[in-house]
Amino acid sequence: MKINFTLNSQNVSIEIEPNLRLLDLLRDRFNLTGTKEGCSIGECGACTVIMNSKAVNSCLILAGQCNGAEIITIEGMESDGKLHPLQENFLKSGAIQCGFCTPGMIMSAYALLIEKKNPTDEEIKEAIAGNLCRCTGYKQIIDAVSQSAKEIKINT
Amino acid sequence: MIPVLEIFQPKSVDEICRLLKSNNGDTRIIAGGTDIIPGFHIDSPRFAGIKRLLDLQLVDELKTVSINHQIISIGAAITFSDIITNPVLNSYLPLLVKSSKTIGSTQIRNRATLGGNFINNAPCADSVAPLLVYDAEIKIKSFTSEKIMKLQDFLVKPYATRLNPDEIVTKIMVPVPSTDFVGDFYKLGRRRAVSISRISLAMLMMNEDKIIKEMRIASGAVTPIGTRLYDVEEFAKGKVCNEEAFKEIAIKLGERILAVSGLRWSSEYKIPVVQQVCYQLIKGIERRSL
Ligand code: FES
Ligand code: FES
Repeated sequence: MKINFTLNSQNVSIEIEPNLRLLDLLRDRFNLTGTKEGCSIGECGACTVIMNSKAVNSCLILAGQCNGAEIITIEGMESDGKLHPLQENFLKSGAIQCGFCTPGMIMSAYALLIEKKNPTDEEIKEAIAGNLCRCTGYKQIIDAVSQSAKEIKINT
Repeated sequence: MIPVLEIFQPKSVDEICRLLKSNNGDTRIIAGGTDIIPGFHIDSPRFAGIKRLLDLQLVDELKTVSINHQIISIGAAITFSDIITNPVLNSYLPLLVKSSKTIGSTQIRNRATLGGNFINNAPCADSVAPLLVYDAEIKIKSFTSEKIMKLQDFLVKPYATRLNPDEIVTKIMVPVPSTDFVGDFYKLGRRRAVSISRISLAMLMMNEDKIIKEMRIASGAVTPIGTRLYDVEEFAKGKVCNEEAFKEIAIKLGERILAVSGLRWSSEYKIPVVQQVCYQLIKGIERRSL
């Protein structure tokens, strides 16, 4: 089947097998390998992307369900060669160690910041509760998100 | 493995009913997909033989909430995220909202739907106990018929319901609860966030002059399926609100749950916990009803 959707602000159209997962569509067909596969069953959040302004697990969505959707992946976060403040702050705060959870973490944080300009630490924790990190201990991640919220506010 | 299949994105309930008309089981409705897709992944027999999926994403009529003649109708494909932010549900059905907040992660709540939660009839479906205490009914449609059924009657046994292959649940209908009810929902999981529930209880209580006028209790996870505990409700009715009565009700509840679920390896742990949860819930509700 053929589907049309928006991928990182570009209209795309592609012929797919309907049983392909969104995760595989992104990684194998569009070569966007920033999105990771951890558990494949909706538990770890490594595959998180934004679909219609909300964080979703791309391992739990079939490509045939994406017609007309607006998808943003980690690759869509930088603009004009500049990293997004979330990406900058993850680097600065030591919120990345092995980096496997990072793209998913950043997409969950980004979805939160779309909705709430001033998230509390509690809200940040809630937003990333579906993203597991085996390295950092989360503290640095929460700091990075809250720092980014402050910077984004100043710049807009 | 995800089987080779076709995906349709119908735009209306009528179109769905037409597509389901001669369904012999190879066509399945998919809403959020948070149960079906992991199910495919582990080759679960619950989802064997599916060749066509009908995706509900574009069917707006299945996502709305409205009140008409004191009945709140909720589209079956509403997501838990949308329940949590819906003003009508927040003011009339706070237990449903509270239970929705305990489900999965943000990513899961953004996709998983209220209908999907009970159509799969997993014992741990957290929204079921609140719907039961609110006396929810559901509307079921097929190409040729439309019927309304009590949610409790719809749920048969774990992972089984009265839904026929040619039918779709379109709405959940809840009578506006009396403002005299005060209630609460409690879920005990193995960890705080993103947990699968081990024990959940929903309770509504109406007191008048320190007498329990009406109590409604439903359990989830600890019974094989979400269950209203009518005999405990009957037992509680007319009791004077005091510690002793609350303890008696909690003990009765534990006995009843044991009778419904049978003795299991976990009973020795679960029953006293259920009793304690019940007692705390009643106390909390009583404090708030003063
Ligand atoms: S790979 Fe999707 S949640 Fe783990
Ligand atoms: S940085 Fe390694 S899992 Fe999070």
